[in-house]
Amino acid sequence: MLRRSTGLTLLAGIAAAAVILTACTSAPAPSPTATSTGTPDPDATITVGLVLEPTNLDIRRTSGAALEQILIDNIYEGLVTRTQDNEIEPRLASDYTVSPDGLTYSFTLNEGVTFHSGTALTSADVVASFQAVKDDPTLQGNADFAQVATIAAPDAATVEITLTEPNQNFLFALTGPGGLVFQTGDTTDLKTAENGTGPFTLSRWNKGSTITFARNDTYWGEAAGVAEVVFEYIPDFTAGVNAAIDGSLDVLTAVDPNLAPQLEQTGEFVLTTGRTTDKGTLAFNNKKAPLDDIRVREALRLAIDHEALVAAVGAGQTMFGPIPELDPGYEDLSDVISYDVEKAKSLLKEAGHEDLDLTLTIPSFYGTTVPKVLVSDFAKVGVNLEVKSVEFATWLEDVYTNRDYDLSFVLHVEPRDFGNFANPDYYFGYDNPKVQSLYAQALAETDADASAALLAEAARLVSEDHAADWLYNGATITALVPGVAGFPQDSINSRINLQDVTVAAK
Amino acid sequence: MIRYALTRGALLIAGLLVASVVIFLSLRVFPGDVAQLIAGSEATPTQVQAIREALGLERPLFAQYGDWIGGLFRGDLGVSMLTGASVGEELLQKAQVTVPLGLMAMIIAFVIAVPLGILAALLRGRAGGTAMNVGAQAVAAVPVIWAGMMLVVVFAVWLGWLPAQGFPRAGWAEPWQAVRALLLPALTIGIVEGAMLMRFVRSATLQAASQDFVRTAAAKGLTRTAALVRHGIPAVGLSIITVLGLQVAGIVVGSVVIEQLFTLPGIGRMLVTDVGTRDLVKVQSELLVLTGFVLVIGFLVDLVHHVIDPRQREAA
Repeated sequence: MLRRSTGLTLLAGIAAAAVILTACTSAPAPSPTATSTGTPDPDATITVGLVLEPTNLDIRRTSGAALEQILIDNIYEGLVTRTQDNEIEPRLASDYTVSPDGLTYSFTLNEGVTFHSGTALTSADVVASFQAVKDDPTLQGNADFAQVATIAAPDAATVEITLTEPNQNFLFALTGPGGLVFQTGDTTDLKTAENGTGPFTLSRWNKGSTITFARNDTYWGEAAGVAEVVFEYIPDFTAGVNAAIDGSLDVLTAVDPNLAPQLEQTGEFVLTTGRTTDKGTLAFNNKKAPLDDIRVREALRLAIDHEALVAAVGAGQTMFGPIPELDPGYEDLSDVISYDVEKAKSLLKEAGHEDLDLTLTIPSFYGTTVPKVLVSDFAKVGVNLEVKSVEFATWLEDVYTNRDYDLSFVLHVEPRDFGNFANPDYYFGYDNPKVQSLYAQALAETDADASAALLAEAARLVSEDHAADWLYNGATITALVPGVAGFPQDSINSRINLQDVTVAAK
Repeated sequence: MIRYALTRGALLIAGLLVASVVIFLSLRVFPGDVAQLIAGSEATPTQVQAIREALGLERPLFAQYGDWIGGLFRGDLGVSMLTGASVGEELLQKAQVTVPLGLMAMIIAFVIAVPLGILAALLRGRAGGTAMNVGAQAVAAVPVIWAGMMLVVVFAVWLGWLPAQGFPRAGWAEPWQAVRALLLPALTIGIVEGAMLMRFVRSATLQAASQDFVRTAAAKGLTRTAALVRHGIPAVGLSIITVLGLQVAGIVVGSVVIEQLFTLPGIGRMLVTDVGTRDLVKVQSELLVLTGFVLVIGFLVDLVHHVIDPRQREAA
């Protein structure tokens, strides 16, 4: 899954925590004014500014980070969920066990869970939801259920899933849309309405403008800290900052790093920087000449000044391999590639490409910062880069489906998506049997640490093959007005869990 | 008169039919489709194909066009491929933002252009008149988006008088808030369109000044200015109506940009979003409604002209 925004960071709840966090990052540290940590107001409404509006609300059938970001954990819940650090934790399940052979997953459901319709949740609802994902290829997560053999409900509070072979990623897949639980036989039109089990209900969707959630007062767990949440969709970064400054927002997510100083200058916001699994990926068409030549790919990577690029983007950090810090198998791979213009030139000469014309296809919403840096870096080694900025739908057709491209840039935001480099049919066109075998072993490995070690080994191979370049690991900046507490900080471009958020009484 | 209206009406319908074919076909040459967007970038080709079939994207173009036009004749604008919601209903909802925005912009343009245009004509040849003329030319050349950003900086960010973006959640249930939300965007379009209109009013006034009947009035003892104000300007009114009609198209185009900038949930922003998501049925109906709107305004302007202007009536 790709995300359409220049990723930034996250956010924070309390001013003190924010100060410490921002001080640890390269982001300019705010000088927060004394934050009132007054008594939380249970009747408060919190207004959150976001960039990308969902196209519809049917999370079962529509892909997109915008949808997952607001719906999962707030409206819909799965048996398990993930924390801001991408750790898996129980949600609708009170507990779960995995058999030593990694084939059988047993979940015990929490008591007293009800859907928003008032109907009690039972294990039969879980079985029906999962069976549908397994059987219906148009449901999101269908591919993740390929190795599911049976889904059973031995009693009303237990669900048992057996796999045909162990899959280290299966539990994580259950934290996504495929693992959400819906009421059996429900006739709600999920495109515009909902019937989840979460701490919020959908009260209104004004398309092109706002989505409003209200606290679910009959929630089975601890009730949410605010009465109402309004998501205000503002696709233009500058307009978002203006809206924050004129006081219409309590929180602004995905602040453009270049605009962050404007918010800081007002002295009315606390800015936080959060980690993400966003990988600013410069894809090489590995199947197409001259990029099928490893010397050309290495030369392109050597030509990029990654430090300068991160500085130009304004937030985030360098990364030199396919796995980001928040995912299993992460390893610092900075020894694989350096910034070396002379070496790049000699490699290109050796490959017979002293003068090379390449095209970079990039979805238009990413702006011009990254292409500008690449054009100038590549020009220094004799590569003339033509930038082709296209709409996302066009990108999907030309690059993703038809593989008609030389270089492409997108932000791959999905956690644990290393498998794309083990899939020769993915648009990277990267085909290394050794990587594929290591990845298969990593999935089949039941011990998490051993699995991560195998992933790390495979990731190193991918980087050494220069299958792509990773321009940066995105960070996400969030601006909060003082008084907002408990707002998540990391990974908020894929999950904004609002249950614990509070707003101080004014 | 009736014959003129019928002929002109037939032209209107022919124009709409041609527009429908052009709109339908031109959207088909876009790369990318809504099925791939729904499925996402992790989907298999089989999954995308299944969605494509479910949406009817695999059917022959002729059948798709027939469905759409057939629906239009029954007053059905179709449903969104993405949300299944009625396009007609959503258009009506978004019109509650765009139509008042357009009207406000038009009124502002009018209020700026008419007095200033006449004044500039009266001051012709003097320094003040030249300055006004040059000023209008400069403002008319300003891109709407830049004018909008400047107004936001001054009135929303510095002065904090008006909201920088958005429309009240309750819509027109909060009339004052709704008007406040539309004021800056309407000013933006209104000032730029008003500058264009002002230049037109000026030249139309000057032209009127050289007409025989004004000269006759002056010969009867009125001052030049008085002759112009009493006899020339009423004659100018007619051509102003024509130009205002033509400006409807400009305001529709301006609203696309301005709704994006001010995050207003109107027709312009809906259109941009729907093109981006390749929601073809929605886009084609929206475009046809907008085209129809502009054509109908042109039709009405022509009719009014025909009724008011005796010379045209004789010619027809």
